Amino acid sequence: MTATLRLIDAYAQMALMRAFEEAVGAGSARGEIHGEMHLAIGQEAIAAGVAPLLDRDDAVISTHRPHLHALIAGVDAVALLGELWERADGICRGKGGHMHLFEPGRRFMCTGIVGASLPIALGYAFERSLRAPGTVALAVMGDGAANHGTFAESLNLAALWDLPVVFLCEGNGYAISVTRETAAAGDIHRRGEAYGIPGYHCDGTDPIAVFEAASPAFERARSGLGPALVVATAYRFRGHYEGDIDHYRSPAERDRAISQRDPLVNARRRLLEAGIADHELERLDSEAAQRVNGWVAQVQAMPWPSAEQATLGVFT
Amino acid sequence: MTQTPAIRNMSQMIALTIAEAMEADERIVVIGEDVGRMGGVFGATRGLQRRFGESRVRDTPISEQTFIGAAVGMAQAGLRPIVELMFIDFLGTCLDQVANQMAKNHYMSGGRVRVPLVLRSAVGCIGDAAQHSQVLTGTLAHLPGLKIAFPSSPGDARGLLVSAIASDDPVVFLEHKQLLMATIEELRYSGDPQSDRLPFRANIVRPGTDVTVVASGWMVQLAGRAADMLATEGVECEVLDLRTIVPLDDEAIVASVSKTGRLLVVDEDYRSFGLSGEIVARVAEAATCRSVSVARHCMPDVPIPASKPLEDAVIPSADSIAAAVRRMIYP
Repeated sequence: MTATLRLIDAYAQMALMRAFEEAVGAGSARGEIHGEMHLAIGQEAIAAGVAPLLDRDDAVISTHRPHLHALIAGVDAVALLGELWERADGICRGKGGHMHLFEPGRRFMCTGIVGASLPIALGYAFERSLRAPGTVALAVMGDGAANHGTFAESLNLAALWDLPVVFLCEGNGYAISVTRETAAAGDIHRRGEAYGIPGYHCDGTDPIAVFEAASPAFERARSGLGPALVVATAYRFRGHYEGDIDHYRSPAERDRAISQRDPLVNARRRLLEAGIADHELERLDSEAAQRVNGWVAQVQAMPWPSAEQATLGVFT
Repeated sequence: MTQTPAIRNMSQMIALTIAEAMEADERIVVIGEDVGRMGGVFGATRGLQRRFGESRVRDTPISEQTFIGAAVGMAQAGLRPIVELMFIDFLGTCLDQVANQMAKNHYMSGGRVRVPLVLRSAVGCIGDAAQHSQVLTGTLAHLPGLKIAFPSSPGDARGLLVSAIASDDPVVFLEHKQLLMATIEELRYSGDPQSDRLPFRANIVRPGTDVTVVASGWMVQLAGRAADMLATEGVECEVLDLRTIVPLDDEAIVASVSKTGRLLVVDEDYRSFGLSGEIVARVAEAATCRSVSVARHCMPDVPIPASKPLEDAVIPSADSIAAAVRRMIYP
């Protein structure tokens, strides 16, 4: 069955993602989440564009900015928020937190170490190729990780072993404060050429563009032809972490990006031009907010893990 | 156990043990540098690729961070990989995947993810100097989440490897280079070749009354030789083989030292901030060891030198171990 993506469906999903991230940011600001928090506000179109291409049995291995990938992998939103809120009923029972999320039932995990997601994704892809041919592993990274040793090693090994990996580079142009231009020589999407890995470059603020760029990448990996690399460029609306005063980016640059490159604003404009009623989009926005607020209320009532759990569970 | 060829050394024992495990469980795959076509630089995976094919036994590029990270992913995805880090000295090339992923993912997931892999690695000094001779048990043991098995003989290697493969925890399986290559006849202790699934507990290889000599790996063989020498002088050593660094069998150590009153830790790893200090600390904390005497005979805190007389000056030997015991008995 060929996947399709309608812009209205992408909008609905991005609205939910935006509401989700904003609610997590608010929880962090209120001190309900006590560790460093990395939100993907502004980058929603990338996950929304890839979502229809994922099969239930695919693996998704993400980074320190993981929430949207968890959602498209099918991780339960309440249990996910429970983990972010550090509660006992979170997906990791409060042990992992925001950067170390695991949902084995959806083959989803993330890691706080830049570049570490890639080798692990190769391992899932290896298992998938042996036991479930036709499924893939989505290896998520940022443009900063493109310069890590694991990127070159993972491209090489995935190509050698024809692993069904889709490398998805969410290029928001910054590794904390260091720009892509300062850190990466050449074009990231072309780095696979040396290994025979096709690269697809797209506007990561347009979910349809992401979908169209990623489709052949997924098809190639699913068919057993080996890995593919997708680079989707977007803008990170917030600082690297919540509370980052972001002084290394000019307010003018940020304001321009936020006004011109907001995936929701741009999708909204296109939908209105296509004849969708404004109140319909308002309804999607308010539904998203209501759902997320309901989830957060559930999570705020969840119990905390008990102290003795801290020293248990190192070994099976 | 089915009909087997005669086992001459630990490397053959390991290859046989892995083959039996792979025959019984198709989820087991073997990956690493030179493990397939060559059968391992010490022969410890000889014959596996011929028997089980290139899909299950794979040579990797020199990309430790990535193929060891891939092994973590494979294990989490439901396979049971046996991955080799050729020499433990290469730990720096893959430490993130070992320390931050392999060791921690089970805990961080609230127990929902398991990492049932074996990380095999060759350790110990055979003359290859500072970057190819280390043991690093202290470094590995310090990082929570890794079990560490360190057999002292071919028979123990079999039993500990069976247990390591069966374990759902990540187990670092250390293969001392001297043991990989020495024939069984050359060894003071050869272990039980029929051993099956040894528990991760210490083993008293030689009971005694005058001093507890705690050792692991090749040092157990040397401690045994030292004990033989000392027995002719009327000193009876109890040689305690740790078998596993993690879990550390402090119960067995404390019981032995409570009996003998003297603890000598023999360790081929660096003296400071490591395993030998940990063992002394556990004994110091024990109520039944209030008035024991303790000593450590270890590699000093220096990079391992190349020239033979320099190497001999830093690596413990049977003679130097015996001398260390005598310093405790005749102060």
